[in-house]
Amino acid sequence: MTPVLLIAANFLREQRWPLIILLLWVAGSSAVVGAPGVAADREDVLFFLKQQAVYGVAVTTFLAASAIYNERRSRRILAVLSKGIERAQYIGGLLVGVFLVAGIYCAFMTAACAWVFSQIRAPLLPLAYLIAALLAACLLSGSVAIFFSTFLHPLGATAATAIFLGVPALLTHVAPIWLRLVPVYWLMNTILEFAFHGFHYTDWTAVALGFLETLLVWLAASWVFTRRDVAVAVE
Amino acid sequence: MLEFDGITKEYRGFFGSRSVRALNDFSLQVEAGEILGFLGPNGAGKTTAIHLAMGFMRPTHGSGRMLGQPFGHAVTRRRVGFLAENVALYHRPASKLLRFYGGLNGLRDPDLARRVRDILDTVELVPEADRNVGKFSRGMLQRVGLAQALVNDPELLVLDEPTSALDPLGRVAVRELLQHARRAGKTIFLSSHLLSEIELVCDRIAILHRGRLARLGRTSDLLETREHSEVVARGVSPEIMHGAVADDGVVKFTIRTADQRAAIERVWNLGGEIVSVAPVRRSLEEIFLELTAEEAGK
Repeated sequence: MTPVLLIAANFLREQRWPLIILLLWVAGSSAVVGAPGVAADREDVLFFLKQQAVYGVAVTTFLAASAIYNERRSRRILAVLSKGIERAQYIGGLLVGVFLVAGIYCAFMTAACAWVFSQIRAPLLPLAYLIAALLAACLLSGSVAIFFSTFLHPLGATAATAIFLGVPALLTHVAPIWLRLVPVYWLMNTILEFAFHGFHYTDWTAVALGFLETLLVWLAASWVFTRRDVAVAVE
Repeated sequence: MLEFDGITKEYRGFFGSRSVRALNDFSLQVEAGEILGFLGPNGAGKTTAIHLAMGFMRPTHGSGRMLGQPFGHAVTRRRVGFLAENVALYHRPASKLLRFYGGLNGLRDPDLARRVRDILDTVELVPEADRNVGKFSRGMLQRVGLAQALVNDPELLVLDEPTSALDPLGRVAVRELLQHARRAGKTIFLSSHLLSEIELVCDRIAILHRGRLARLGRTSDLLETREHSEVVARGVSPEIMHGAVADDGVVKFTIRTADQRAAIERVWNLGGEIVSVAPVRRSLEEIFLELTAEEAGK
């Protein structure tokens, strides 16, 4: 377990600047929306929440999609993989790193949203579900991006992730079961359709499926990455 | 210790483009306790062979074993130290970086802390332990690279061009480090372009050319030619032989080994005295050029 945590902590350290910028953006946005005297209405607050949720998923996907490529291009991956670790542990480390990035972002979002909600006297109860849904969506989209990045350029991996996560949105009109297959759309849709009045959505199935499928995607990514040559030039 | 058994590695091109065969039925055994120099011109397949051994890639054909386990066995790599060509490390303080790499190899405190301290001392980086390696010179970076390879006290060291970025003083330091490692019973598989370095530290040399093992032997055997000998004589004039030169009271000349007896008798007949007869030593550069010319002629 320790190598996984070491790689995860290292990933977090390497991605600290994008994360800090994202957190500053959240802090700045929440200050604008929730500052006393701004008199933001509930629509503004909802826009803030939904905008940050989309940014969170997008940023974790980008960071995950470029992780292996950056390590290969800088050749830093060689010193890491020359140690006594399995490829699955390496992928697991990146995934836990994505989880840490998403976790810190979601924790910051929780604090920011709690403050903004309290400014407009909105109920805080839905926040627990919304943040859990956001964390699951970030983690699953990140893991799918890592899976594609084991054999694609980061741009290709990002595009493939977008298509893969978006397909259920189209197919769900044909058969609702597709919604559960890769539930990022389901999770994000819950967040994007959230309204303070009449919120009663407490079905945690999508969140649980998100975490479960992350594990499955990690297994698939590990299987592929174990069979890949990593020392050849990436350009 | 390290065994390549009929390994072929092809890099397949995309969309039907021509594939490149980097290694072709390559076999080699590195014995325990030796320093084996791995030589070859650019593109000969040295780095490919090393990366296959480390499990970064999989062979197209053939197999190999490292410390008794197939290539790519993660637990075995805990007993191996590796330094890549063009060392690339995370930008962190040197001591923290070594803790990170040691941790990946399963080392835990207090052993890890002790090993990091010892190895920083060995590579003479104790004063720089808390400095970010991103601010290091190339030579210092190379020493941190060596330190991360040695942090787990490996049985086998696989080094790809360890002295390429170093100045002469740094090279001497690495050479001493390698000799110290050999005295400690480590096995070293050393790839280098610096032929003089290889001559000085290696017990055996393997020369790779176009993905094939072109020469393998003890360093002394490879460097000595059986075809020519150098004769040093006293009490004769340089005219005794074409190409003979007078040097510090003696006359030196090179002859074909087959003509050695006749040359010695000639010196004696002229009242001279033989000081020494020794096989001519070639430089690795000469062997290299010879090999390339042979391959070009095929």
